[in-house]
Amino acid sequence: MNSKLLVLLLLILSFRFYLFYSNRYQFSDGEKVDFQAMILSSPQTIGSQQSFTANYKNQKIRVTTNGFPEVNYGDSVRISGKISNRNNGLLIYFPKMEIVNGSANVFQASLGGINILREKLISLFSKTLPAPFSSLLLGIIFGIKEQMPKDFSNNLRTVGVFHVIAASGMNVTLIGGFISAFFVLFFKRQVAIGLSILAIIFYALLAGLEPSIVRASVMGILVFSAQIMGRQTLAENSLFLAGFGMLFLDPSLISDVGFQLSFAATLGILYLKPLFGKKEGVVAEVSTTITAQIATLPILLANFGTYSVYSILVNGLVLWTVPILMMIGGAGAILGLILMPLGQILIYLCYPLLLYFESVVNIFGNLGGVLTISSFPWQFAAGYYCLLISTLIFLKRK
Amino acid sequence: MKKYFLIGTAFFCLLGCILVCQTITYNDKKLHVVICDVGQGDAIFMRTPSGSDILIDGGPDDAVLGCLGKHMPFWDKTIELIMLTHPHADHLTGLIDVVKRYKVLAFGYEKIGNPTGAYKKLIDELEQNHVKQIFLWQGDQFLLQDGVIFKTLWPTKEWFDQNSISETSSDANDFSMIELLTYNHFKALFTGDAQAQAMEKIDSTTGRIDVLKVPHHGSQTGLTSEILDILNPKLAAISVGAKNKYGLPTTFILDLLKSKNIKTLRTDQRGDIEIISDGKSWKVN
Repeated sequence: MNSKLLVLLLLILSFRFYLFYSNRYQFSDGEKVDFQAMILSSPQTIGSQQSFTANYKNQKIRVTTNGFPEVNYGDSVRISGKISNRNNGLLIYFPKMEIVNGSANVFQASLGGINILREKLISLFSKTLPAPFSSLLLGIIFGIKEQMPKDFSNNLRTVGVFHVIAASGMNVTLIGGFISAFFVLFFKRQVAIGLSILAIIFYALLAGLEPSIVRASVMGILVFSAQIMGRQTLAENSLFLAGFGMLFLDPSLISDVGFQLSFAATLGILYLKPLFGKKEGVVAEVSTTITAQIATLPILLANFGTYSVYSILVNGLVLWTVPILMMIGGAGAILGLILMPLGQILIYLCYPLLLYFESVVNIFGNLGGVLTISSFPWQFAAGYYCLLISTLIFLKRK
Repeated sequence: MKKYFLIGTAFFCLLGCILVCQTITYNDKKLHVVICDVGQGDAIFMRTPSGSDILIDGGPDDAVLGCLGKHMPFWDKTIELIMLTHPHADHLTGLIDVVKRYKVLAFGYEKIGNPTGAYKKLIDELEQNHVKQIFLWQGDQFLLQDGVIFKTLWPTKEWFDQNSISETSSDANDFSMIELLTYNHFKALFTGDAQAQAMEKIDSTTGRIDVLKVPHHGSQTGLTSEILDILNPKLAAISVGAKNKYGLPTTFILDLLKSKNIKTLRTDQRGDIEIISDGKSWKVN
């Protein structure tokens, strides 16, 4: 990218940051609020509680309530409760909440439609396979991580493969990579781009339209289209432009883990992956994952505080199953929506691999070997990225 | 293309192996009783010798699904009978997910409800999925063809009619159903959150039993020395969450069981507790 342009963009961005942070409304701890908001991303159920994000005064507030009444995305809710302003986040615990649907607009109606499709898919998978296999497959294909038994999802976290089922920015980035690489094998470039864009949008909708997924989708669509076109520099530029646009619209994103993860993961895939040389098929998927991991390691460590010593081994053992499961399971999902028994046969076909995946995760999960990092100094992250970038520049020169 | 065909064939082959394997392991013509580790709550799963699946209570959340997944073959998505001992959240909430995901043939419970969101949701799901609902009283029995019998020992209809229940209090524990499982010589008693006064009224008909699900997660009010003398169980199982806020099980109950030399197993220490019986003898897996 032109360096003069880069400086100009950075200047504009810093001005925007200054304006944003100097004018922001400050919630005080314990402040009483009463507001109405629409739920724009899928609520998460954890045990007997549910939590979701609501927008108020241009800030995101995480709301945790009892499991009933169940809220879905697209619902409008009225919330009154006390804000607790801790750990760099705004939270409301167990407020008075009522669902105030009625004035449904087109947007809400279409969200409702997607939600019905989502519920249908959940029902198809969970009526075909038992837990945790059904949830694992739903997580791998669609990033839907509801109804994951607690001990299994703990094990996924412990061994460092939670990213496979978490509908995170990184997940969309990986899936965008898989999908575009897959389509380009069978179709002309233009068709492949069109199909990839459609697939990523559909995926983002199904995964629950978490803001992080939306952002990652935008980035993914730009970058992977550029990659299919075979223009490395175009891909790089579009990533930076996407990042610029998003930060300009919402400067608070800079401290959002999801944003950091998807940006870093995409950067990693763009710059590090070519070092592995041109690979095809499963090897390409694995190198995609490894490069994304390398690029995001400090962010993961700083925010989640744990790292399994078996993480790389377990990732290597299970990740090859992901593209296969996505293909068979995805075909099963589409067929199953048309004719249930037909889809079920394909979903059954995923069972051996799921059994393998689950066994590996549980065996290593019960082994332990987790490093807990209580404080992660930023100097370490800075050093890590300095080393990474200098290695990269050195290797590129050769 | 040839490559994909090969991979596809390999998967079919694997699936076939797993089908054969699971058919053999899950249809061993024995009765399996599993006290599921669902945290602070109750969920008991049974697979009878002929492969019928029965569930008593569902625990406080979806943890019960993991237990069902582990103890049923993967293609079996039918539960023949669910019983709910009483409508408290730590016994019923998990059933909502079970009813959503499994085909349930019958649902036995008692004629008390409550206004909580979870209870309403459960009844909604039962209606939506057209599950047959049955109210159970003392004397009601389910006789299975393989010789397994479920008998409701409490509450009696008379006692139920005489005692009203205030909707939100913990009184529902007094109404908790008590179920006796019999398979030839093997007997197990499932007590929900029953209180000692109810336990005293049923035991004369029961005789001695092999396995006792300790009432109310080992709460002090569930058992007395006399009740244990009459039931004389060889194994006591306590379904309880690790580090729960109620301090259960109580040392009173643990000491009582110890003083009677009754082997005691707890889900917070062991995870799922599985008991296998062929009708003559039984063992803990």
